Amino acid sequence: METLREVLAPGFVLRNSVYIGLLVGLTCPLVGGYLVMRRMIFMGIALPQISSCGIAFAFALQGWGLLPHPHGTTEEHALAFGGSMVFTLLSILILTLLEKRRGGSVEGRLGAFYVLAGAWSILLLVKNPFGEHGMLDLLKGEIIAVPNSDLVLSAGVFGFAVIPLILFHKEFLLVSFDPEMATTLKKSVRGWDGLLFSLVGLIVSISVLSVGPLVTFGFLLVPSLIAYQLTRTMKQFLALSSIIGGLSAVVGFVLAYRWDLPVGATDVALLGILLILTFFAKRAATLFGPRCAAKREFPR
Amino acid sequence: MSDDLLVLDNLAVGYGSKVVVDRVNLSMPRGSFVGLLGPNGSGKTTLLKTIVGIIPALGGAVRFQKLNARPPVMGYVPQRETLDPIFPLSGFEVALMGTCGRVAPGRRIGRAERAWTLQCMEQTGVANLAKVKYSELSGGQKQRVLIARALAAKPDLLVLDEPTAGLDPNASQALMELLREINAHQGKAILLVAHDLPVVRRYVQWVIWLHGGRADYGPVSKLLSRERVAEILGLDLP
Repeated sequence: METLREVLAPGFVLRNSVYIGLLVGLTCPLVGGYLVMRRMIFMGIALPQISSCGIAFAFALQGWGLLPHPHGTTEEHALAFGGSMVFTLLSILILTLLEKRRGGSVEGRLGAFYVLAGAWSILLLVKNPFGEHGMLDLLKGEIIAVPNSDLVLSAGVFGFAVIPLILFHKEFLLVSFDPEMATTLKKSVRGWDGLLFSLVGLIVSISVLSVGPLVTFGFLLVPSLIAYQLTRTMKQFLALSSIIGGLSAVVGFVLAYRWDLPVGATDVALLGILLILTFFAKRAATLFGPRCAAKREFPR
Repeated sequence: MSDDLLVLDNLAVGYGSKVVVDRVNLSMPRGSFVGLLGPNGSGKTTLLKTIVGIIPALGGAVRFQKLNARPPVMGYVPQRETLDPIFPLSGFEVALMGTCGRVAPGRRIGRAERAWTLQCMEQTGVANLAKVKYSELSGGQKQRVLIARALAAKPDLLVLDEPTAGLDPNASQALMELLREINAHQGKAILLVAHDLPVVRRYVQWVIWLHGGRADYGPVSKLLSRERVAEILGLDLP
């Protein structure tokens, strides 16, 4: 409790790290929920990796002298964000075009994107003369030292992405659940899908930049899997996913601070424990619930 | 003004460049009840999806007559297996989607639209299932929720893809009675895909029969007469 009070105090020296974790935790599940519902979990794995590759590529361009050397952290992060966004959105576009052709397996393509992006990230960093200076940390997710400017930028981007997610919830839900019905109602399925995946790309890019690919994937997927077991409507599902993500980010930070652990890994491990507990609680409710109900209904 | 709601003019349908049904010419009157019949793989669903605009036509044209200077609204009921049960949606949330065509993007679905959706669910006999998870409903209940969703769109034409598939005879008959009531009392035109000849014969007025890449169209009394059925199926009558 004492650690929690310390972490949440306004003067806490690492408060920006708590805030950025909270933002990622609240926001990623809002798009992760759509990926889970549309059975595109592999895209949730591949995109953060592709985003990392974009960051590595942007720094490689600068390392090869094709882009000017950034002055200061803000410029460095803007460069990384640009690389991340371009790679993520291009990959989404290519994957969508390939899906429309309906050739080969979706999982195979996403797997190939994932593994190639991972390999290229390493190769680009190894060959980058500036690779050892901070970029590796950036890719791993440097949650500890977050300057005010980065926090403001991230909060702005997250806010920019969340507003349309809330405003156009009914359109995103309709094209995700029943694109054919959407077409008969004169909705542009391609247009709404494009907007949804652009928002996914935006949120993934800024999250990878803030907390790294592992934690981004963790927040995209696991809160949704937990909330799915506890909710009955789509709005409940998305809202609970977001709350679970936000709470896990704060509690994860407190635990990591208390026991001197890496924050990102602690967040994901905590989500994993919650997932297992929810699974067993749900199983227990299914096994014993009806029997208890039957006893109440038919006492004899 | 023409009394036809829908005109198919030399329509060719299929996937990619492969034509499945060719030279479809017919006019569907307003308020009519039309059954789309044919063996598996004959192109029933392909033709239906082309009519509602999900699949582009490979040739010819689908023309809807305007009603009060606006294009007719369609209420589409897909095969229920095509909807993924993974979505955590209540019956009401699914039915509410029908109103999306009228509510502008970014606007909340208002109280009046919600009340209307509930009214549609009452009409199809599933208002009591509004809060039940859609994935937990039986096949017949899901079908009724999907019909309520289509009605929530306030359609001029109700289009259903195999609504009785997988239902037991009682549920199937109850569903067809519901459709007949909607057609008779609300004057909504209905176009449905079916492969159950007795059901079609009993309820619909007009039939589109697909066979061998062609489409025959006519009133039930003529197209489903014993002699005509035998002729289409190549049977020898005793």
